[in-house]
Amino acid sequence: MSADLSRLLNAIGLLAIGTVLALALVDQVWFSDLPCGQCILQRAGFFAAGFGIALNVIFGPKPSHYGIAILGAMAGGAISLHQTLLHIVPGTGSYGNAVFGMHLYTWAFFAFALTIIGCAIMMLDDRQFARSAPMSARLRVLPLSALLLFMALVIANIFSTVALCGAGHCPDNPSDYIMLATSPV
Amino acid sequence: MMSLPFLFFACGLGAAWMQHRGVAMGFWFVGLVAMLVLFRVHVTEVLNIAL
Repeated sequence: MSADLSRLLNAIGLLAIGTVLALALVDQVWFSDLPCGQCILQRAGFFAAGFGIALNVIFGPKPSHYGIAILGAMAGGAISLHQTLLHIVPGTGSYGNAVFGMHLYTWAFFAFALTIIGCAIMMLDDRQFARSAPMSARLRVLPLSALLLFMALVIANIFSTVALCGAGHCPDNPSDYIMLATSPV
Repeated sequence: MMSLPFLFFACGLGAAWMQHRGVAMGFWFVGLVAMLVLFRVHVTEVLNIAL
């Protein structure tokens, strides 16, 4: 696999992570499904994992970038697994709306696992690490779009989290945006 | 407080965009540590079940 092809595949991976984060934001804004503290940390986990993939897109593929993505996905996966286990006993309730029969934290765990598997598969081909030449101009549109989406989402999440939680910790079961509340909470 | 990991990751992405790879990786590491520390705070949330 050439470095250019690897960058393209990484851009597709980054776009997939961006889509997951964008859908979470749509769920929050459109369906008023406010994220709990651990849900927000899982979003941060997606950014931690996507960061390594973004580095692959910007600087070219390197094993250290894949390492960053795997470590970020492991951290995020641990958080989503913890939240899944919190609610795994029947009758112990759940958090948020179910999507296709599973809650978002369960889907998040599968997404983190897929990220780790994807990075491991990508690392199997050593030829991508041989050289890191500048990307040819005709291949730049998709990586640039994926990067811009990823950057826009991280900025959107900063504002969203500050609006939801203020300067402190997020409530376990938020009912409103703390910073936007008209009456004292 | 909870927005800190996002802030560090955003700074890291900005540094990467400006071709500062080492700085970007530093911001990523600080963001990951912040995320795990915040998880340590939230992991103690108890499950209210009656067995």
